[in-house]
Amino acid sequence: MLSRIADSLYWMNRYMERTEGILRILRTHYVLSLDKGQYGVNSWKPVVKLFSTQTDPEAADFEYNSIHTINHILLNADNNNSIKVILGRARENARGAQDIITKEVWEQINHLFHTINNPVLIQRFSGNDTLAALDQLLDRALLFSGVTDSTMPRNMGWNFMNLGKFIERCMITVELSDMNFEEGDYNLSVNRDILFWRSLLFSLSGYELHLKTYRSSNYTNSVANQVIFNKQFTHSLVYCADRIRYYLYKIIEDNRPEGADHLLKHFGRLHSYIAFADMETVKQEGLKPFFARIRQDLLQLNKNLGQQFFSYS
Amino acid sequence: MPTQVVAILFFYQNGNMEKDGLLEKYISQSGIWDEMRGETGVRNQYQRVCDQICTLDTASLVQKETQAGELFMNQGITFTVYSDNAGIERIFPFDIIPRIITAAEWEHIESGIKQRLKALNLFLKDIYSEQQILKDKIIPTELIASCPQYTREVFGIKVPHDIYVHISGIDLIRGDDGKFYILEDNLRTPSGVSYMLENREVTKRIFPDMLANNNVRMVSNYPLILHNILNALSPRQVSNPCVVLLTPGIFNSAYYEHTFLARQMGIPLVEGRDLMVDNHKVYMKTTQGLEQVDVIYRRIDDEFIDPLTFNPSSILGVPGLMSAYRKGNVALINAVGNGVADDKAVYAYVPAMIKYYLNEEPILPNVPTYQMMDTDARQYVFENIRGMVLKRTNQSGGYGMLMGHKANEEDLVKARKEVEADPRNFIAQPIIQLSTVPCFIDGQFRPRHVDLRPFALCGPDGIQIVPGGLTRVALREGSLVVNSSQGGGSKDTWVSDL
Repeated sequence: MLSRIADSLYWMNRYMERTEGILRILRTHYVLSLDKGQYGVNSWKPVVKLFSTQTDPEAADFEYNSIHTINHILLNADNNNSIKVILGRARENARGAQDIITKEVWEQINHLFHTINNPVLIQRFSGNDTLAALDQLLDRALLFSGVTDSTMPRNMGWNFMNLGKFIERCMITVELSDMNFEEGDYNLSVNRDILFWRSLLFSLSGYELHLKTYRSSNYTNSVANQVIFNKQFTHSLVYCADRIRYYLYKIIEDNRPEGADHLLKHFGRLHSYIAFADMETVKQEGLKPFFARIRQDLLQLNKNLGQQFFSYS
Repeated sequence: MPTQVVAILFFYQNGNMEKDGLLEKYISQSGIWDEMRGETGVRNQYQRVCDQICTLDTASLVQKETQAGELFMNQGITFTVYSDNAGIERIFPFDIIPRIITAAEWEHIESGIKQRLKALNLFLKDIYSEQQILKDKIIPTELIASCPQYTREVFGIKVPHDIYVHISGIDLIRGDDGKFYILEDNLRTPSGVSYMLENREVTKRIFPDMLANNNVRMVSNYPLILHNILNALSPRQVSNPCVVLLTPGIFNSAYYEHTFLARQMGIPLVEGRDLMVDNHKVYMKTTQGLEQVDVIYRRIDDEFIDPLTFNPSSILGVPGLMSAYRKGNVALINAVGNGVADDKAVYAYVPAMIKYYLNEEPILPNVPTYQMMDTDARQYVFENIRGMVLKRTNQSGGYGMLMGHKANEEDLVKARKEVEADPRNFIAQPIIQLSTVPCFIDGQFRPRHVDLRPFALCGPDGIQIVPGGLTRVALREGSLVVNSSQGGGSKDTWVSDL
């Protein structure tokens, strides 16, 4: 496989996963912002801070203005991380690899791109159609995942695509969890109501799983447990790390590149750091440094992959 | 879209009985050959299409037109307009009514193109080696010497099977006499074949049973034929040679076509930065290391293909590619240097080449062409400029043209000055009223001028032309310029055995 193509596929899927993630977060936040109550009106500030290239002082303008914020995060071309911009990049990557991805996958990305660039969309957001419009976009993004899964051949391209997908997903889970736990100063012994954790759980589509799995009323603890250690939860750190390991080994098996040792050892440390920890060790170490180290290692992994497989220009 | 549904466009019953409707209003212009309407009514090959379309009202036709547009849009068969920063994507306009060629007409076209390509291949071989045709004074040496497309860098390079023009898109037009003429030979990197194939797919979607009813010949095997030819040209005798398609990248206006062909042939689509040359061999950079490349179907012009040999500022090409080509370690398709044979001034000598190399009369005639280097011809052209089109020899795509009947005095004076300053760079041709085909425009059928570009493939086993081609339409009323850059669209093109 051409290095350039591997690079394109990896980033195409990172951007698509990010699109799906951000859309779900927007939807959750928007729905919760409609409830006026203790856990209802959520400031958009942390979301803007996380998913926008906007600097902090400006973010204050976004505090309680849902439509303005959604427009900014979705459609503002000046925001380097807006859905409009990242879909443009995803499509550009898909275009560069158009002969490798299936026609169906290409058409999904292309369609989503045209949807986000359709002027009608802005009108829908400013009208009463916000939720329906968000749902439509989210459905499209999910359709991309499904179409990819059922049409892409299980070859090298697939492995690179999934590597991108799960690295991005892991990143989103880390960032979002970090944002939510930060509000309680990362203190795992202070219990907060499930209504508070709805935001995080819905954003990672793990709310129902939480209700089904955890009986304890110590929500703070069980939410932390779910987002880090729950192997059934497709957005948990350990699930993502397992998937990354699986695809990484596949790629190395097929490519047998020189210098893969370094890459594997580095990732091995990250993987065991998550997989062989438990709530006790996390508590001892502190949640904040725990997330910080994973974030750091993921960035390093991304860099190592670039050096190992994508250096072509 | 008109709110009032205009009833029935074409109506025929048992023969030629016309009911009122849009066809009544479809007036083919007098003195111009219309592909559908002859002097006595609808031509035989269009009869069944008319019958079927007569069952549809304007609203359904508009709906089919919209559906066709959406099909192109959703597949990303678009080009980007960069006039504003938004980078708006547009589709190439597609007209829903097919252009139909009869089996007999096709046989004539096919044999004419084969003959022409045979002669052009022999010419390219000759001109880059022995140059007998110059020594025998069939073509003036100064014409070749002054041709910017004559590529000295490839003189003496032997190409596999002596084939230079593997892929060509020769443009034909039909005059008011109903005869086909060759307008230009595109022997470098002709594009449009994906439109030929996609237009057919769209017709299948919008008029599902019309193709079968009309015994339309298949075009969809084009990528397979091309792939076989590319494989056969590999310099290494290996069972599975590495064939790639080299594209300038996603910003090229024909990028869709590059991906389409790569996908249809199952070969990697590479950019210049994916390739490198080491020890006169070409490699591509993969996740597994370097892999040797045998055949490159390149869609990059000669000028940009190797910065070490040609334009040094090109970043699209591959440094050192020409050295590998010269050593015979890689095959380039089409060959480098073909531009000399489709120079507009050299074009005038193609009939002479056919006589010289093949000892045959040309089956398909050229459009009469006046060399502006010749003083008598120049005088004649300027005396009759209103009926002439003046073209620059080194430009294509509908640029660098002056249509005599539409130009104002100022343009004419300016053109004359330019011609006199550099006569080698100009030719003139009488304006030929291209044939027309009905097009569905604003809810009505109107005649619009068309040309025809069949795609010929030449491999070690001979020349193959898929029955059909790209019909380009000048969508502006009265316009004779069909290029997509100048407001042109396209039609599905049928060769029909009725």
